[in-house]
Amino acid sequence: MSDAEDPTTFSPAEPTTGEEFEPVEVFPDNDDFDLRPGADNCYKCSTCDTNCPVAEVDDDFPGPKFQGPEQWRLTQTDDDYEIDDSITSCSNCLRCDNACPSGVPLSQMHNTARGRYVDEQMSKLSVEYIRNRILANYRTSAWLASKVPRLSTFVMNNSAVRWVMDKTMGIPKERDFPAFATETFQEWWAKRGGADESRRRARQNRPDDADPSDYKVAYFHGCYSNYNTTQVGKAMVRVYEELGFEVVVPEQKCSGTPMFANGMLDDAERHAKVNVSSMSDLVEQGYDAIASCTSCSMALRQEYPELFDIDGIEKVSENTYDSVEYLRIHTDIADRLSEATVEGDLAEEFAYHAPCHGRNQGLERQAVELFAELDGVGIEDVGDSCSGISGTYGWKSEKYEISMEIGQPMFDHMEDSAGETGMTECPTCAMQMEHGTGYDVRHPLELIEAAIVEA
Amino acid sequence: MAATPHVLVIGGGSTGVGIARDLAMREFDVTLLEQGNLTHGTTGRMHGLLHSGGRYAVADQASATECIEENRVLRDIASHCVEMTGGLFVKRPEDDESYFQDKLSGCEECGIPAEVVSGREARQMEPHLATDIDKAITVPDGAVDPFRLVVANAASAQEHGARVETHSKVRDLLVEDGEVVGVEVEHDSGPGLRVHGVEGGREEIRADYVVNATGAWAGRIGDMAGVDIEVRPSKGVMTIMNVRQVDTVINRCRPKGDADIIVPHETTAILGTTDEEVADPEDYPEEQWEVDMMIDTLKELVPMLEEARTIRSFWGVRPLYEPPDVGSEDPTDITRDFFLLDHEERDGLPGMTSIVGGKFTTYRMMGEQIADHVCNQFGIDRACRTADVPLPGSEDFSVLRDYMDEFGLRSPIGRRSVERLGSRADEVLQTAGPNPTVCECEGVTRAEVQDAIAQSGSDLNAVRIRTRASMGNCQGGFCSHRLASELHGEYEEPIARRAWDELLQERWKGQRHALWGQQLSQAALNYALHATTQNRDHDPADGESLDFSAFDSGTDDRTTGAAGTDVAADGGHADGY
Repeated sequence: MSDAEDPTTFSPAEPTTGEEFEPVEVFPDNDDFDLRPGADNCYKCSTCDTNCPVAEVDDDFPGPKFQGPEQWRLTQTDDDYEIDDSITSCSNCLRCDNACPSGVPLSQMHNTARGRYVDEQMSKLSVEYIRNRILANYRTSAWLASKVPRLSTFVMNNSAVRWVMDKTMGIPKERDFPAFATETFQEWWAKRGGADESRRRARQNRPDDADPSDYKVAYFHGCYSNYNTTQVGKAMVRVYEELGFEVVVPEQKCSGTPMFANGMLDDAERHAKVNVSSMSDLVEQGYDAIASCTSCSMALRQEYPELFDIDGIEKVSENTYDSVEYLRIHTDIADRLSEATVEGDLAEEFAYHAPCHGRNQGLERQAVELFAELDGVGIEDVGDSCSGISGTYGWKSEKYEISMEIGQPMFDHMEDSAGETGMTECPTCAMQMEHGTGYDVRHPLELIEAAIVEA
Repeated sequence: MAATPHVLVIGGGSTGVGIARDLAMREFDVTLLEQGNLTHGTTGRMHGLLHSGGRYAVADQASATECIEENRVLRDIASHCVEMTGGLFVKRPEDDESYFQDKLSGCEECGIPAEVVSGREARQMEPHLATDIDKAITVPDGAVDPFRLVVANAASAQEHGARVETHSKVRDLLVEDGEVVGVEVEHDSGPGLRVHGVEGGREEIRADYVVNATGAWAGRIGDMAGVDIEVRPSKGVMTIMNVRQVDTVINRCRPKGDADIIVPHETTAILGTTDEEVADPEDYPEEQWEVDMMIDTLKELVPMLEEARTIRSFWGVRPLYEPPDVGSEDPTDITRDFFLLDHEERDGLPGMTSIVGGKFTTYRMMGEQIADHVCNQFGIDRACRTADVPLPGSEDFSVLRDYMDEFGLRSPIGRRSVERLGSRADEVLQTAGPNPTVCECEGVTRAEVQDAIAQSGSDLNAVRIRTRASMGNCQGGFCSHRLASELHGEYEEPIARRAWDELLQERWKGQRHALWGQQLSQAALNYALHATTQNRDHDPADGESLDFSAFDSGTDDRTTGAAGTDVAADGGHADGY
């Protein structure tokens, strides 16, 4: 901001990188994204490198400055340049995006380079590729597992099975597979009466003078809330309805986050097309898109328009919100919570970890601020370290140690904090928190539900 | 006369090294003198275009024909200095159609492969071209690294026994009995590799023949012997963009004009140029409007240039020459052809020939003709071999290798290094010690820097032109001190400090013409870093050597220390509290 500007117009909720900054240019004859402005914007300050959690613990990792603008600029002379294989060590936490003082679209550069690496340089027959493809397409495995959830949960955590998976697939035996829900969120939703039922409930809770068109949201639950932590999806629905919002659950696939992280851009685009298509129709009708997983909202908001050229993508991106963020913007949730008291199971002290992808959307303080005034609970921020799991990253044997080393400060701070229950918006961060400390981990929506929705 | 004639070549630009290499290969005893670094004059200040000849195909067909011939030769003998990008002559709607047709037929007449492509096809080749261009002609233009080419020529001359002295300025010509018999030269730091702080001195070098290949400076050498060589130096500005907006040489298809070419060069793109006569090749104004005009004009071809980052601008002086009776008013009318001035025939002064005019692309051919002329002086009949024998670095090699395994380098850095080093890659990059990246922008490792230091002494600008270290977007902000510390071991601290100062000065010289937008941010960051971490804004040592022994050794006293009551150097307590 220049001195001439009125500081009162400055809003901390708005990104300060400048609205005029447009890292993406699409040419009519060419649907490649131009990354030149990204390379031009880098002045080598290395702030990204000092914020990179991987570079901090892995001396062989050259860091985001090399992975992004430097590598891009060095390889423009011809198409024969290979992408350095260190790109597979980037965990896609996007801390560098947030850290850059100069608007370099680092994650876009990394995603592009990783996509090229996987496309052109990785053997499609290698164990690593197959393993990554399976991890990236978690939705497919989860869908299959959900057909026989109890058996899947049992088998996947059988130590002999895990030993074999570690040896043959490189999936670390140390980790516990998440339990599969016996009823998926979608099954629950359909059984409950779907959108019609939601409309009915929302109407009951809405003031008579409210304009119904302001109370319409489309829920992007993501894979994890559907197949594993269905309580988060259910909490979302109940909380939103309690506040008068009618919820619809459109057709959806994986957000693409694990696919970006594994360089499987074709897979990601295929899924993105379905998501954008159904979401953009709803956005046209006045719905806002709401995700309860911060990586899903990140994908729809930032990665989609950075990487794909799909009809309606900008519109979806502009109208996507994190589920807690949206409530803070559009409802009196803060007042409701300050008047509420939590009793029972969730009347706990929480050790809260802000996920990197939430941090990147400016959401790292939302839970702590929101629950500060809530009676019956306590919440403590466990610091700004990355949890280290970064989705599928920590699910690779060769990355497991690094993943745990990155997470160590978080584990330590959780142990130090008063609570013995964790809290975070991100399902894989939750996995890591549980793995490192043995704590039970909850989503903020669950606590909001406990506070304002009558059981 | 000695059995092997000794020929002295003055001028370490492309012409001088081309002559020196040719004569050395024809078994002459050769000494090359250059007042600064190799390429110090015009050669180091050009846009790096390997001409197809297309630019001269209408107005100067003799030059055009030479260009296409030499273009083919250089692709062969200097492959590690050349990138065959291809070129386009782009016609905008307002550009003259008949000139376009003249260009096309001119190319055909000169044997330059040329084809017309539609505006759409041209945009498929170069997506950032303006949407409203009409059409274009494709030609085999390329990019050439003048630094690498000159260094390789000098290295080849040395391999054939030549003595090459840089930072050695000719102070006088020795004339005895009306004949040039040698020069008096002042060495900046003594003969051999340049080492800062080494006492220089004058040396008389006697020679059987002197070739004045000093380009825009030719008149000064002439003056020393009382002969008049009327070179008409003409300045041109060139602006370097941070990244390549185009991968093909883009020429504007219209008759002579300013700001009509974009050359992709290594990681960058170079915009050129202007043409304005100046009185003194070393003292002329460098003005911002010249840079602005380049960007404003060339954005008509590539609109994104307007917003793109510029990292520096530099000016060069062309050594234009025309016989005194032509009398062109406008320097753009002066031929780009070269002239061999035999001072015996012309001025009655035997023992010396000057070469003036000409262009970089035909440097080898000029060298050949001069060497032929020198052979004639001595009645020697030896064939020129410079068109057939590859330069050092351009012997058979492949850049497509597995750098990670072979040299332990990250693949883009390894590939960059190998492209610069060519066939010398194994010799330079296979090193026993650690090989960190010293210049991140250009991907230059310690091994390459050390190789350059071994070639050129303590001169970091000489390291720069050999490796491209400090030529990327931070313009030495993050690597100058690392380069200086690479001198350590071989050279003492005061020497490294002087070399470092010189490099920073040189980097600033061009960067000061790019101080807006992102490069202004870069310069501000560089300043802050250099001021706060290197005390560059106020040097207390004042050029004197620091007493490093006054500092502690950096070892941790806590492990050896006695009591836990001492205060550690960081102000905290030694026990960590």
